Amino acid sequence: MTFTDNELTDKKFQKELNSGTAALVLLAVLERAQEPMYGYQIAKHLDTGSEEVPVKQGALYPVLRALEVGGLLESQVEPSVTGPPRRYYQITSTGRDTLRQWIEIWNRTKTFVESSLKGNRHE
Amino acid sequence: MNKSIAEYLLELRHELVGCDPATVLDALSDTEDHLNTALAGAMADNPRLSEADALDGVIVRYGTPAEVAAAYRDTENRTRPALAAPESYYERSAGSRFFGIVYDPRAWGALLYMVISMVTGIVYFTWVTTGLYLSIGLLVLIIGLPVAYLFLMSFRGIALVEGRIIEGLLGVRMPRRSLFSQRDLRWWQQLKVLVRGRRTWATVAYMVIQMPLGILYFTITMVLLVLSVGLVASPIQRYVFDMPIIRTEHYVIFMPDNLMPVAVCAGVALFVLLMHLARGLGRLHAKLARAMLVGK
Repeated sequence: MTFTDNELTDKKFQKELNSGTAALVLLAVLERAQEPMYGYQIAKHLDTGSEEVPVKQGALYPVLRALEVGGLLESQVEPSVTGPPRRYYQITSTGRDTLRQWIEIWNRTKTFVESSLKGNRHE
Repeated sequence: MNKSIAEYLLELRHELVGCDPATVLDALSDTEDHLNTALAGAMADNPRLSEADALDGVIVRYGTPAEVAAAYRDTENRTRPALAAPESYYERSAGSRFFGIVYDPRAWGALLYMVISMVTGIVYFTWVTTGLYLSIGLLVLIIGLPVAYLFLMSFRGIALVEGRIIEGLLGVRMPRRSLFSQRDLRWWQQLKVLVRGRRTWATVAYMVIQMPLGILYFTITMVLLVLSVGLVASPIQRYVFDMPIIRTEHYVIFMPDNLMPVAVCAGVALFVLLMHLARGLGRLHAKLARAMLVGK
Protein backbone atom coordinates (compact mmCIF):
# COMPACT_ATOMS: atom_id res chain seq x y z
CA MET A 1 0.00 0.00 0.00
CA THR A 2 1.25 3.51 -0.67
CA PHE A 3 0.04 6.76 0.83
CA THR A 4 0.38 10.27 -0.36
CA ASP A 5 2.23 12.69 1.90
CA ASN A 6 -1.03 14.19 3.07
CA GLU A 7 -2.49 10.87 4.06
CA LEU A 8 0.68 10.02 5.97
CA THR A 9 0.58 13.30 7.89
CA ASP A 10 -3.10 12.75 8.66
CA LYS A 11 -2.39 9.26 9.93
CA LYS A 12 0.46 10.49 12.06
CA PHE A 13 -1.68 13.25 13.56
CA GLN A 14 -4.46 10.77 14.30
CA LYS A 15 -1.95 8.40 15.93
CA GLU A 16 -0.58 11.15 18.13
CA LEU A 17 -4.07 12.07 19.26
CA ASN A 18 -4.92 8.43 19.93
CA SER A 19 -1.99 7.75 22.20
CA GLY A 20 -3.85 9.39 25.08
CA THR A 21 -7.48 9.08 24.12
CA ALA A 22 -7.41 5.31 23.63
CA ALA A 23 -6.42 4.81 27.26
CA LEU A 24 -9.11 7.25 28.42
CA VAL A 25 -11.80 5.53 26.37
CA LEU A 26 -10.82 2.06 27.54
CA LEU A 27 -10.83 3.11 31.19
CA ALA A 28 -14.25 4.72 30.73
CA VAL A 29 -15.72 1.61 29.09
CA LEU A 30 -14.40 -0.68 31.81
CA GLU A 31 -15.53 1.71 34.54
CA ARG A 32 -19.10 1.50 33.34
CA ALA A 33 -18.99 -2.24 32.67
CA GLN A 34 -20.81 -4.33 35.26
CA GLU A 35 -18.45 -7.26 34.88
CA PRO A 36 -14.96 -7.97 33.49
CA MET A 37 -14.72 -7.76 29.69
CA TYR A 38 -12.37 -9.37 27.19
CA GLY A 39 -10.68 -7.59 24.29
CA TYR A 40 -13.13 -8.44 21.55
CA GLN A 41 -16.11 -7.48 23.73
CA ILE A 42 -14.57 -4.07 24.35
CA ALA A 43 -13.75 -3.61 20.66
CA LYS A 44 -17.30 -4.60 19.73
CA HIS A 45 -18.69 -2.18 22.32
CA LEU A 46 -16.71 0.67 20.74
CA ASP A 47 -17.61 -0.33 17.18
CA THR A 48 -19.65 2.43 15.63
CA GLY A 49 -20.44 0.43 12.51
CA SER A 50 -18.31 2.67 10.33
CA GLU A 51 -14.98 1.60 8.91
CA GLU A 52 -13.50 5.04 9.50
CA VAL A 53 -12.98 4.80 13.25
CA PRO A 54 -10.25 6.92 14.83
CA VAL A 55 -8.74 3.98 16.73
CA LYS A 56 -8.22 0.64 15.01
CA GLN A 57 -9.26 -2.30 17.16
CA GLY A 58 -5.77 -3.76 16.92
CA ALA A 59 -4.39 -0.69 18.67
CA LEU A 60 -6.60 -1.26 21.73
CA TYR A 61 -4.89 -4.43 22.92
CA PRO A 62 -1.42 -3.00 23.58
CA VAL A 63 -3.06 -0.13 25.48
CA LEU A 64 -5.02 -2.62 27.60
CA ARG A 65 -1.79 -4.41 28.45
CA ALA A 66 -0.01 -1.15 29.22
CA LEU A 67 -2.86 -0.05 31.52
CA GLU A 68 -2.54 -3.33 33.35
CA VAL A 69 1.20 -2.88 33.79
CA GLY A 70 0.45 0.57 35.19
CA GLY A 71 -1.93 -0.92 37.74
CA LEU A 72 -5.02 0.83 36.34
CA LEU A 73 -6.56 -2.41 35.15
CA GLU A 74 -6.29 -5.96 36.33
CA SER A 75 -6.89 -9.05 34.29
CA GLN A 76 -7.39 -12.72 34.65
CA VAL A 77 -7.34 -15.51 32.13
CA GLU A 78 -10.40 -17.68 32.08
CA PRO A 79 -11.09 -20.70 29.93
CA SER A 80 -13.74 -20.19 27.28
CA VAL A 81 -16.18 -22.75 25.94
CA THR A 82 -15.40 -22.13 22.29
CA GLY A 83 -11.69 -21.52 22.01
CA PRO A 84 -8.45 -20.67 23.78
CA PRO A 85 -8.58 -19.05 27.24
CA ARG A 86 -9.59 -15.39 27.28
CA ARG A 87 -8.08 -12.47 29.17
CA TYR A 88 -10.78 -10.57 31.06
CA TYR A 89 -10.01 -7.00 32.13
CA GLN A 90 -11.53 -4.99 34.94
CA ILE A 91 -10.75 -1.57 36.37
CA THR A 92 -8.90 -1.20 39.69
CA SER A 93 -9.59 1.44 42.33
CA THR A 94 -6.43 3.30 41.22
CA GLY A 95 -7.88 3.11 37.72
CA ARG A 96 -11.12 4.73 38.88
CA ASP A 97 -9.27 7.58 40.60
CA THR A 98 -7.09 8.08 37.54
CA LEU A 99 -10.10 8.09 35.25
CA ARG A 100 -11.75 10.84 37.31
CA GLN A 101 -8.65 13.02 36.94
CA TRP A 102 -8.28 12.18 33.27
CA ILE A 103 -11.87 13.18 32.54
CA GLU A 104 -11.16 16.56 34.12
CA ILE A 105 -8.01 16.95 32.03
CA TRP A 106 -9.92 15.86 28.94
CA ASN A 107 -12.66 18.41 29.59
CA ARG A 108 -10.13 21.19 30.03
CA THR A 109 -8.31 20.14 26.86
CA LYS A 110 -11.55 19.88 24.91
CA THR A 111 -12.69 23.35 25.95
CA PHE A 112 -9.29 24.80 25.18
CA VAL A 113 -9.06 23.21 21.73
CA GLU A 114 -12.63 24.00 20.77
CA SER A 115 -12.41 27.62 21.77
CA SER A 116 -9.12 27.93 19.88
CA LEU A 117 -10.66 26.39 16.79
CA LYS A 118 -13.57 28.78 16.95
CA GLY A 119 -11.09 31.63 17.09
CA ASN A 120 -11.95 32.92 20.55
CA ARG A 121 -9.13 34.73 22.17
CA HIS A 122 -8.47 34.54 25.88
CA GLU A 123 -7.30 37.98 26.76
CA MET B 1 -6.78 -8.24 0.31
CA ASN B 2 -8.18 -11.70 0.95
CA LYS B 3 -5.66 -13.28 3.26
CA SER B 4 -6.05 -15.96 5.88
CA ILE B 5 -5.55 -15.45 9.61
CA ALA B 6 -2.32 -17.46 9.43
CA GLU B 7 -0.99 -15.18 6.68
CA TYR B 8 -1.99 -12.12 8.66
CA LEU B 9 -0.16 -13.43 11.75
CA LEU B 10 2.91 -14.19 9.66
CA GLU B 11 2.96 -10.64 8.33
CA LEU B 12 2.46 -9.26 11.83
CA ARG B 13 5.38 -11.32 13.13
CA HIS B 14 7.46 -9.95 10.28
CA GLU B 15 6.48 -6.37 11.17
CA LEU B 16 7.40 -6.93 14.82
CA VAL B 17 11.01 -7.99 14.14
CA GLY B 18 13.29 -6.39 16.72
CA CYS B 19 10.65 -6.05 19.45
CA ASP B 20 10.96 -7.69 22.85
CA PRO B 21 9.98 -11.37 22.38
CA ALA B 22 7.35 -10.95 25.09
CA THR B 23 5.72 -8.13 23.11
CA VAL B 24 5.76 -10.27 19.97
CA LEU B 25 4.01 -13.12 21.76
CA ASP B 26 1.49 -10.74 23.33
CA ALA B 27 0.71 -9.20 19.96
CA LEU B 28 0.36 -12.53 18.18
CA SER B 29 -1.88 -14.08 20.79
CA ASP B 30 -4.07 -10.93 21.14
CA THR B 31 -4.42 -10.77 17.37
CA GLU B 32 -5.09 -14.44 16.82
CA ASP B 33 -7.70 -14.46 19.52
CA HIS B 34 -9.39 -11.30 18.23
CA LEU B 35 -9.45 -12.32 14.57
CA ASN B 36 -10.88 -15.76 15.36
CA THR B 37 -13.57 -14.40 17.65
CA ALA B 38 -14.44 -11.49 15.36
CA LEU B 39 -14.57 -13.74 12.30
CA ALA B 40 -16.92 -16.16 14.06
CA GLY B 41 -19.07 -13.16 15.12
CA ALA B 42 -19.16 -11.70 11.61
CA MET B 43 -20.12 -15.03 10.06
CA ALA B 44 -22.89 -15.51 12.60
CA ASP B 45 -24.26 -12.00 11.97
CA ASN B 46 -24.29 -12.46 8.23
CA PRO B 47 -24.33 -16.14 7.20
CA ARG B 48 -24.38 -15.34 3.49
CA LEU B 49 -20.96 -13.70 3.65
CA SER B 50 -18.03 -15.83 2.45
CA GLU B 51 -15.31 -16.44 5.02
CA ALA B 52 -12.74 -14.47 3.02
CA ASP B 53 -15.01 -11.43 2.74
CA ALA B 54 -15.97 -11.61 6.39
CA LEU B 55 -12.30 -11.72 7.34
CA ASP B 56 -11.59 -8.72 5.13
CA GLY B 57 -14.19 -6.75 7.05
CA VAL B 58 -12.72 -7.86 10.36
CA ILE B 59 -9.20 -6.88 9.30
CA VAL B 60 -10.30 -3.45 8.08
CA ARG B 61 -11.60 -2.76 11.58
CA TYR B 62 -8.62 -4.37 13.32
CA GLY B 63 -5.96 -2.58 11.27
CA THR B 64 -3.21 -3.71 8.92
CA PRO B 65 -0.28 -5.73 10.34
CA ALA B 66 1.88 -2.61 10.01
CA GLU B 67 -0.60 -0.49 11.99
CA VAL B 68 -1.00 -3.09 14.73
CA ALA B 69 2.77 -3.61 14.98
CA ALA B 70 3.25 0.15 15.23
CA ALA B 71 0.74 0.29 18.11
CA TYR B 72 2.60 -2.42 20.08
CA ARG B 73 5.98 -0.87 19.32
CA ASP B 74 4.69 2.47 20.47
CA THR B 75 3.33 1.12 23.74
CA GLU B 76 6.51 -0.85 24.35
CA ASN B 77 8.54 2.34 23.98
CA ARG B 78 6.31 4.32 26.28
CA THR B 79 5.83 1.87 29.14
CA ARG B 80 8.47 0.34 31.30
CA PRO B 81 8.83 -3.41 30.93
CA ALA B 82 6.87 -5.41 33.48
CA LEU B 83 8.25 -5.29 36.99
CA ALA B 84 11.24 -3.19 35.94
CA ALA B 85 13.69 -3.01 38.80
CA PRO B 86 13.86 0.30 40.64
CA GLU B 87 17.42 0.81 39.37
CA SER B 88 17.73 4.24 40.93
CA TYR B 89 18.11 2.65 44.37
CA TYR B 90 21.67 1.69 43.72
CA GLU B 91 22.95 4.09 41.14
CA ARG B 92 24.99 6.02 43.68
CA SER B 93 28.29 5.42 45.42
CA ALA B 94 29.92 1.98 45.42
CA GLY B 95 28.88 1.43 49.03
CA SER B 96 25.24 2.21 48.54
CA ARG B 97 25.29 0.24 45.30
CA PHE B 98 26.51 -2.77 47.25
CA PHE B 99 24.18 -2.47 50.23
CA GLY B 100 21.26 -0.92 48.32
CA ILE B 101 20.35 -4.35 47.03
CA VAL B 102 18.44 -5.04 50.24
CA TYR B 103 15.80 -2.60 48.89
CA ASP B 104 15.54 -4.53 45.63
CA PRO B 105 12.43 -6.74 45.73
CA ARG B 106 13.85 -8.79 42.88
CA ALA B 107 16.88 -9.84 44.92
CA TRP B 108 14.62 -11.06 47.73
CA GLY B 109 12.45 -12.86 45.21
CA ALA B 110 15.52 -14.46 43.66
CA LEU B 111 16.71 -15.56 47.10
CA LEU B 112 13.36 -17.23 47.73
CA TYR B 113 13.47 -18.81 44.28
CA MET B 114 16.92 -20.29 45.01
CA VAL B 115 15.48 -21.95 48.10
CA ILE B 116 12.24 -23.34 46.65
CA SER B 117 13.79 -24.39 43.32
CA MET B 118 15.12 -27.55 44.92
CA VAL B 119 11.62 -28.64 45.90
CA THR B 120 10.07 -27.75 42.55
CA GLY B 121 13.08 -29.29 40.76
CA ILE B 122 12.63 -32.62 42.49
CA VAL B 123 8.86 -32.58 41.84
CA TYR B 124 9.36 -31.78 38.13
CA PHE B 125 12.06 -34.41 37.73
CA THR B 126 10.00 -37.11 39.40
CA TRP B 127 6.91 -36.25 37.41
CA VAL B 128 8.67 -36.05 34.06
CA THR B 129 10.60 -39.31 34.46
CA THR B 130 7.53 -41.15 35.73
CA GLY B 131 5.46 -39.76 32.89
CA LEU B 132 7.93 -40.58 30.15
CA TYR B 133 8.75 -44.09 31.34
CA LEU B 134 5.12 -44.94 32.03
CA SER B 135 4.04 -43.68 28.60
CA ILE B 136 6.84 -45.44 26.75
CA GLY B 137 6.28 -48.64 28.72
CA LEU B 138 2.57 -48.63 28.05
CA LEU B 139 2.95 -47.82 24.36
CA VAL B 140 2.87 -51.52 23.51
CA LEU B 141 -0.70 -51.44 24.80
CA ILE B 142 -3.14 -48.98 23.27
CA ILE B 143 -3.59 -47.32 26.71
CA GLY B 144 -0.09 -45.82 26.30
CA LEU B 145 -1.33 -43.18 23.89
CA PRO B 146 -3.88 -41.48 26.18
CA VAL B 147 -1.41 -41.78 29.07
CA ALA B 148 1.28 -40.09 26.96
CA TYR B 149 -1.23 -37.40 25.96
CA LEU B 150 -2.19 -36.67 29.56
CA PHE B 151 1.43 -36.50 30.69
CA LEU B 152 2.51 -34.24 27.81
CA MET B 153 -0.42 -31.93 28.54
CA SER B 154 0.56 -31.88 32.21
CA PHE B 155 4.12 -30.87 31.22
CA ARG B 156 2.66 -27.87 29.43
CA GLY B 157 0.69 -27.07 32.56
CA ILE B 158 3.79 -27.30 34.71
CA ALA B 159 5.64 -25.03 32.26
CA LEU B 160 2.89 -22.42 32.79
CA VAL B 161 3.12 -22.75 36.58
CA GLU B 162 6.92 -22.46 36.50
CA GLY B 163 6.48 -19.41 34.28
CA ARG B 164 4.23 -17.78 36.89
CA ILE B 165 6.74 -18.56 39.66
CA ILE B 166 9.56 -17.03 37.61
CA GLU B 167 7.47 -13.96 36.77
CA GLY B 168 6.59 -13.46 40.41
CA LEU B 169 9.97 -14.10 41.98
CA LEU B 170 12.53 -13.25 39.30
CA GLY B 171 10.52 -10.45 37.66
CA VAL B 172 10.97 -11.62 34.08
CA ARG B 173 8.00 -11.77 31.75
CA MET B 174 7.05 -15.28 30.71
CA PRO B 175 4.23 -14.80 28.22
CA ARG B 176 1.69 -17.51 27.63
CA ARG B 177 0.96 -18.78 24.22
CA SER B 178 -2.25 -20.61 23.38
CA LEU B 179 -1.55 -24.31 23.10
CA PHE B 180 -2.65 -25.16 19.62
CA SER B 181 -2.74 -22.80 16.69
CA GLN B 182 -5.51 -24.90 15.18
CA ARG B 183 -8.76 -25.50 16.97
CA ASP B 184 -11.15 -28.43 16.90
CA LEU B 185 -8.32 -30.95 17.08
CA ARG B 186 -9.16 -34.37 18.48
CA TRP B 187 -6.95 -35.48 21.34
CA TRP B 188 -4.82 -37.77 19.18
CA GLN B 189 -4.25 -34.93 16.72
CA GLN B 190 -3.23 -32.76 19.67
CA LEU B 191 -0.91 -35.56 20.78
CA LYS B 192 0.73 -35.48 17.37
CA VAL B 193 1.24 -31.71 17.63
CA LEU B 194 2.66 -32.15 21.14
CA VAL B 195 5.07 -34.93 20.16
CA ARG B 196 6.32 -32.99 17.14
CA GLY B 197 6.55 -29.70 19.04
CA ARG B 198 10.08 -28.57 19.78
CA ARG B 199 8.82 -26.72 22.85
CA THR B 200 7.37 -29.89 24.43
CA TRP B 201 10.82 -31.45 24.49
CA ALA B 202 12.50 -28.25 25.58
CA THR B 203 10.06 -28.24 28.53
CA VAL B 204 10.91 -31.87 29.32
CA ALA B 205 14.63 -31.00 29.24
CA TYR B 206 14.00 -28.02 31.52
CA MET B 207 12.12 -30.20 34.01
CA VAL B 208 15.02 -32.65 34.05
CA ILE B 209 17.84 -30.13 34.53
CA GLN B 210 15.81 -28.19 37.08
CA MET B 211 16.59 -30.84 39.71
CA PRO B 212 20.42 -30.58 39.64
CA LEU B 213 20.15 -26.81 39.22
CA GLY B 214 17.68 -26.59 42.11
CA ILE B 215 19.95 -28.62 44.36
CA LEU B 216 22.90 -26.42 43.40
CA TYR B 217 20.97 -23.19 44.05
CA PHE B 218 19.64 -24.50 47.35
CA THR B 219 23.07 -25.65 48.54
CA ILE B 220 24.85 -22.41 47.64
CA THR B 221 22.11 -20.34 49.26
CA MET B 222 21.88 -22.40 52.42
CA VAL B 223 25.64 -22.61 53.01
CA LEU B 224 26.10 -18.86 52.62
CA LEU B 225 22.94 -18.06 54.57
CA VAL B 226 23.83 -20.25 57.54
CA LEU B 227 27.41 -18.97 57.54
CA SER B 228 26.32 -15.32 57.52
CA VAL B 229 23.64 -15.79 60.17
CA GLY B 230 26.18 -17.69 62.30
CA LEU B 231 28.71 -14.88 62.04
CA VAL B 232 26.16 -12.20 62.86
CA ALA B 233 24.97 -14.24 65.84
CA SER B 234 28.47 -14.84 67.27
CA PRO B 235 28.05 -12.30 70.13
CA ILE B 236 24.89 -14.13 71.22
CA GLN B 237 26.76 -17.42 71.10
CA ARG B 238 29.57 -15.99 73.20
CA TYR B 239 27.79 -13.79 75.77
CA VAL B 240 24.30 -15.26 76.06
CA PHE B 241 25.01 -18.97 75.77
CA ASP B 242 28.70 -18.80 76.72
CA MET B 243 29.54 -21.28 73.95
CA PRO B 244 33.05 -21.62 72.45
CA ILE B 245 33.61 -21.75 68.69
CA ILE B 246 35.84 -24.84 69.02
CA ARG B 247 35.62 -27.47 71.71
CA THR B 248 37.90 -30.53 71.94
CA GLU B 249 38.60 -32.90 74.83
CA HIS B 250 41.56 -30.85 75.98
CA TYR B 251 40.72 -27.23 75.32
CA VAL B 252 38.06 -24.80 74.22
CA ILE B 253 38.50 -21.70 72.07
CA PHE B 254 36.26 -18.67 72.51
CA MET B 255 36.10 -15.98 69.93
CA PRO B 256 38.29 -13.08 71.12
CA ASP B 257 36.26 -10.00 72.09
CA ASN B 258 38.07 -7.74 69.67
CA LEU B 259 37.20 -10.03 66.75
CA MET B 260 33.49 -9.87 67.56
CA PRO B 261 32.69 -6.68 65.57
CA VAL B 262 34.69 -8.03 62.62
CA ALA B 263 32.68 -11.28 62.67
CA VAL B 264 29.35 -9.40 62.76
CA CYS B 265 30.38 -7.09 59.90
CA ALA B 266 31.65 -10.06 57.88
CA GLY B 267 28.31 -11.82 58.43
CA VAL B 268 26.33 -8.81 57.21
CA ALA B 269 28.62 -8.40 54.19
CA LEU B 270 28.33 -12.08 53.38
CA PHE B 271 24.53 -11.85 53.43
CA VAL B 272 24.56 -8.87 51.07
CA LEU B 273 26.96 -10.76 48.83
CA LEU B 274 24.55 -13.67 48.85
CA MET B 275 21.76 -11.36 47.69
CA HIS B 276 23.91 -10.16 44.78
CA LEU B 277 24.71 -13.75 43.92
CA ALA B 278 21.03 -14.74 44.09
CA ARG B 279 20.01 -11.90 41.82
CA GLY B 280 22.73 -12.74 39.33
CA LEU B 281 21.86 -16.43 39.31
CA GLY B 282 18.17 -15.49 39.09
CA ARG B 283 18.84 -13.43 35.97
CA LEU B 284 20.76 -16.25 34.32
CA HIS B 285 18.13 -18.78 35.28
CA ALA B 286 15.32 -16.59 33.96
CA LYS B 287 17.14 -16.38 30.62
CA LEU B 288 17.44 -20.14 30.52
CA ALA B 289 13.80 -20.64 31.46
CA ARG B 290 12.65 -18.13 28.89
CA ALA B 291 14.65 -19.82 26.15
CA MET B 292 13.33 -23.26 27.04
CA LEU B 293 9.75 -22.60 28.14
CA VAL B 294 8.51 -19.75 25.93
CA GLY B 295 10.65 -19.98 22.81
CA LYS B 296 8.93 -19.88 19.47
